[in-house]
Amino acid sequence: MSRRDSTSYQWSARGFIAPGVILVAVLLYAPLLWTTYLSFTEYNGLGDPDWVGLANYGAMFADPEFFGSLGNTLLWVAGTLIVPVGLGLGLALLTFDLKGGIWLRLPFLIPYAISGIGVGLIWSFILQSDGALDQALALVGVVDPPRWLLDAPLNTVVMILASAWQGVGVNALLFTIGLQSIPKEPLEAARLDGARGARLFGSILWPMLRPLTAVVIGLSIVASLKTFDIVQGMTKGGPGRASETLALTMYKDTFVNSDYGLGSAIAVFLTIVTLVASVLYLRQQLSKKNEI
Amino acid sequence: MSRSIRTAVLIVAGIIWLLPVYLLVINAAKSPADFTSKEAWLPNGFALFDNMADALSLSGLGDAVLSTLIYAVVSPIVAVLVGAAAGFAIVALRLKHGFAWFVVIFGGTVFPLQMVLIPLFDGYSRVGLFDTRFGMVLIYTAISVPFSAFVMRNFFSGIAHNVFEAAVVDGASTWRIFTRVYIPMAMSALVAIFILQATFVWNDLLLGLTLSQSDDVRPIVTTLSGMQSTYGGAQLSTVLAAGILVSLPTVVLFLFTQKFFAKGLALGQY
Repeated sequence: MSRRDSTSYQWSARGFIAPGVILVAVLLYAPLLWTTYLSFTEYNGLGDPDWVGLANYGAMFADPEFFGSLGNTLLWVAGTLIVPVGLGLGLALLTFDLKGGIWLRLPFLIPYAISGIGVGLIWSFILQSDGALDQALALVGVVDPPRWLLDAPLNTVVMILASAWQGVGVNALLFTIGLQSIPKEPLEAARLDGARGARLFGSILWPMLRPLTAVVIGLSIVASLKTFDIVQGMTKGGPGRASETLALTMYKDTFVNSDYGLGSAIAVFLTIVTLVASVLYLRQQLSKKNEI
Repeated sequence: MSRSIRTAVLIVAGIIWLLPVYLLVINAAKSPADFTSKEAWLPNGFALFDNMADALSLSGLGDAVLSTLIYAVVSPIVAVLVGAAAGFAIVALRLKHGFAWFVVIFGGTVFPLQMVLIPLFDGYSRVGLFDTRFGMVLIYTAISVPFSAFVMRNFFSGIAHNVFEAAVVDGASTWRIFTRVYIPMAMSALVAIFILQATFVWNDLLLGLTLSQSDDVRPIVTTLSGMQSTYGGAQLSTVLAAGILVSLPTVVLFLFTQKFFAKGLALGQY
């Protein structure tokens, strides 16, 4: 196609891209800027915001509960990377090339379609004191089970596992799509050369899965930083504020305590952490790619 | 590992994985009178539908069903088309600085939702969109656009440019090429995005909590979250039944479209 031809559709192209750009600009970017501005103000939702500079950030870092919330959030990031991503990959490898694999994966996909609140509901029922899990443990002779949802950091750990119960299936599905897209020839060649199991995985499957792994891990980091639903559904951040995540702290400070400035400051902090994590991760991922 | 061992491991793991679902179903089926949390593992009676009916009539869950259905159908459809139009502009029409525009749209997903909550709540209150169905449809659409644009741009990149040129030679307008050639070719990808985004919208809690209030605007998951704190003890079976009711549509959607959905995304990758 000549240069002239490729530029002749510019007006029509602008028309096609405009709806997307306008929606995103008005409903996502404009609010984003406004939140950043609000984080430097004192505002309770009524009247006008008062400029207070960095006072909200000062208050945020002075609050010991904030660091508890930050710690829980980091625990969520680490837990989400290890459990659902790891198990998802394991599941994809187990079902890979297996007859009826699609049916064998099905039980793991069902929880994914259940909402975070639904998952929270099921698991609080299971984990409540004297609940289903404690009853099962009593049968095998455990008389004094841990207080699953009442003690920190155990409550965060069990919520991470509940969230893993929900997330493994979709990670497995994504890894399966990745495995299926690996060209058959190198795989067959490696098998003929006698590569099996761990060796086949290490030398062929894992390197070829890397672009997909980058996406899955990136999505997991971003999603776990924003963890809200399951915690809201299981402990509401409690007892006290022991299992709060940053997303929950932000929600409470803003909409329960009507401190919009502080809520905005937490949102900005959360955003910076998310961006830094994404950039660090992507950079590391890109440098790895160059080594191959 | 041999195939039979792998299959056996998967079957056992699958059964363990479904135990929470088993607990949910048998306990949601106990009538409030027979419900005792002391026997969580034993089924007792079948009052599931009664409990669901109770859940629907109490607590405004019934009102929430229709509005949630509107959000979960309308927003993803609009978003998928808007995203496809963006992908079409960048790939087929070769929009100048197309990649930069793509980054602008896709950048919308990078930030946590928490960043937009306060201004949306504040702005919606000022312009009269707070607690309206239109306001909810609007934000769910905007949130679904970036992912849709991402998949559609990838998908259209896989279509040879000759297709576009041939249609131009036939004298078709860009609008006609988009609606008659590109959209029909992309059906599997469009449906895959629709399913993912519909599931997301159906299961959303945070925007529902923030931007709506009344029973007939509040999304269903938000209503369920409210029920959980209102009820306790004997009525737990009703709340569990509500949990099933709320989860059933997305579970069914997912199971019936699994194959299709995997295919749509796989095509989208290349």
